[in-house]
Amino acid sequence: MSVQDVLSPFKAWKNLFRDPVTIADPINDRPGAARYRGFHQNDLDKCIGCGTCEEICQNGAIDMVAELKIEQAEGDSGLRPRIDYGRCCWCALCVDVCMTGSLTMSNAYTWVDADPEEFRFTPGVDKKDWDDAELGYHRPEGLHLTPMTRVEMQEMEPEERVANFDEIVCGYSVEEALVEADRCVSCGLCVATCPAHMAIPDYIAAIRDQDYEHGLELLYDTNPFSQVCGRVCTHKCEDACSVGHEGQPIAIRWLKRHITENVPREKYMDIIGGTADDTGKKIAIIGAGPAGLTTAFDLVKMGHNITVFEAQPGPGGMARYGIPEYRMPYDDLDHEVSIITEMGVDIRYNMRVGKDILMDQLRQDYDAVLLSIGLHVGRSTRIKGTEHKDVLKAVDLLRDITNGIKVKVPKKIVVIGGGNVAMDIARSMARLQKQKYGKVDLTVTALEDLQHFMADPEEVKEAGEEGIEILDARGPQEIVLTKGGRISGLRTWKVISIFDDQGRFSPSYDEADEMLHKANMVIEAIGQASDVALLGEELTEALDWNRGRLSVDAQGRTSQSWLWAAGDCVHGPDIIHAVADGHVVADSINAALNEQEETDAKD
Amino acid sequence: MPRIEKFDKLHHHASLQEFIDLAIEFEQVAHDFYTDLLPKISKHIRYIVNELIREEEAHIAKLQELAKRRDIEGALQSEIENMTVDRKFYDGIHLPELGENPDDQEILQYAMMREFIAMVQYSELAEKSPPGPVRDLFQFMANEEIKHKNDLEALYYQIIHSGGV
Repeated sequence: MSVQDVLSPFKAWKNLFRDPVTIADPINDRPGAARYRGFHQNDLDKCIGCGTCEEICQNGAIDMVAELKIEQAEGDSGLRPRIDYGRCCWCALCVDVCMTGSLTMSNAYTWVDADPEEFRFTPGVDKKDWDDAELGYHRPEGLHLTPMTRVEMQEMEPEERVANFDEIVCGYSVEEALVEADRCVSCGLCVATCPAHMAIPDYIAAIRDQDYEHGLELLYDTNPFSQVCGRVCTHKCEDACSVGHEGQPIAIRWLKRHITENVPREKYMDIIGGTADDTGKKIAIIGAGPAGLTTAFDLVKMGHNITVFEAQPGPGGMARYGIPEYRMPYDDLDHEVSIITEMGVDIRYNMRVGKDILMDQLRQDYDAVLLSIGLHVGRSTRIKGTEHKDVLKAVDLLRDITNGIKVKVPKKIVVIGGGNVAMDIARSMARLQKQKYGKVDLTVTALEDLQHFMADPEEVKEAGEEGIEILDARGPQEIVLTKGGRISGLRTWKVISIFDDQGRFSPSYDEADEMLHKANMVIEAIGQASDVALLGEELTEALDWNRGRLSVDAQGRTSQSWLWAAGDCVHGPDIIHAVADGHVVADSINAALNEQEETDAKD
Repeated sequence: MPRIEKFDKLHHHASLQEFIDLAIEFEQVAHDFYTDLLPKISKHIRYIVNELIREEEAHIAKLQELAKRRDIEGALQSEIENMTVDRKFYDGIHLPELGENPDDQEILQYAMMREFIAMVQYSELAEKSPPGPVRDLFQFMANEEIKHKNDLEALYYQIIHSGGV
């Protein structure tokens, strides 16, 4: 017997410790391979009901269905995919295209049921044995059927742009727009989020088709401020974009702008214009901002006669007097408004209602009146020293700059506020400082920390790029004056926290962390209010109010049947909300006038 | 009895019931002040003053409820000796003039200031009181003022610091 023969039993025994390669009970236990494309699973916490799975399915095996337990929300359609295993071929395209990675396939592949209806089910909702299976087919990491990175918008370099008020962004080229438009999966979640419910996937498709005129038609069907919104919209639609879950959302705002830039101006009226026969009805609108002019646009199309009373010398409301020209060029705004005036809307500038004409007069002379007066009164912190002549309000300064009034430009400026108005005035004054002194010396202090700034993050980023110092979480305490009575700066305390655990406003300070921000001028940009003095005491008393704002019904009608209200003065600051408001109010006024006409005819 | 006499009595010899009555009176003064203010201000900001009135009414109701509680009934009769009370408390309820036509911010600033002063004074009273129902009463009142001040601060932030466009 050789040594080899002696050791051989041990060689066999060592296999006792190896995992078996065979299945112990192959009749009952036959798991699929680790990456087998078996029955579907859907993580309901991740699914947003975008419907791309339904869209891509080549067999029509998926239907998006409403589920009782799942509510529609912003960025979630509330629908979930129901899969018909009579049609499914387990190709896994639905898994590969899923925008959130919620849809996967388990390695389970056996399912016996006498009822064929059972094989049409909603994964995640209809509980199955394989719901928690870890093995199966998942979209490989890094695999995306659409590009996840958006086409970057070209813009002027900070050093170049801070010296002037020229528009910063350059706009997409046709090639860039096509690439960006191609990323859209047309899920339509953005449509529900947009207050005006713009046909976003459709106008993006028009870019893909290179049919800009159709795109423009779609834009103006819901938004007569498309050129404005293509530049300065708050673009909440992009927050709902399904692509944004694993990548950068589609640049919806820039694509909208691209369409408006690629239709010759002389064609706009042919595409958008067109009014019904004159109804003989007269409507007065107070304020030529987005809400007022959207209402005017809709009503003039219906054949009504519209007169807009505007206190300022130009149109646009806060879109003009609150947003600087480097973000919203006046030429584009004026072109937008020129379409509305060409359709027959009469805008009377420098007409302040309450002074040049009274509300009572409008009530007598017109069949309906709309109040869309915006939020043009700046708030003040009213801390010690704010009564000083060099403590100014941002909205007043922005208005003066827009109107070409020469404003005081000191060497050192402090702005109080963390919203877009604060960024707008800071960046405007920085440009004026650059022009006057060749350098920027401006500090923005805000009560909120950066995470709670109300300004768009890109505004904050661009302000920083332009040399503006941004100090967050600083609580203003006092405007400090020199012995001679001039401003020497703003004294602040560090804000340790601004909200409590429940998200309630509850600021706490670290008084030991005190700073004096040296400045010759302090600009307050903490908030705005409406100037409702134009209503007069009697009408103010007659109207219903809702926590400081005019109370309106769902159609924007006030408690006085002849008066409607819309836009920022009712629902707070946002251009696209104001546009949406304008549509609702226009329909309501039209319906009320028709109803009145029918009543008169019967009498 | 005029309020000042009642107040002075606290220095020497007062029952818990008297403290509660006086606290109710202080709240009633604030309530009356806001009620008088209501017709002087524009309708669109009247909701703020209405809320302030409701809040003062709630304070009064809570105090009245407290006074009726069986578990502190005995304590209500107990007398407190040598209680030192800072007169600032009285200053706190002597409210400064708001002017003829105050705006929403002035009203809120005023109300917050009043709540703050009341809170500080109740807290000081609690600190100076011996452990027992009287201290509990003042702490209870201080807490009420703190809660109300916090509510007003949140409202102030919501209205004034709307953040801009």
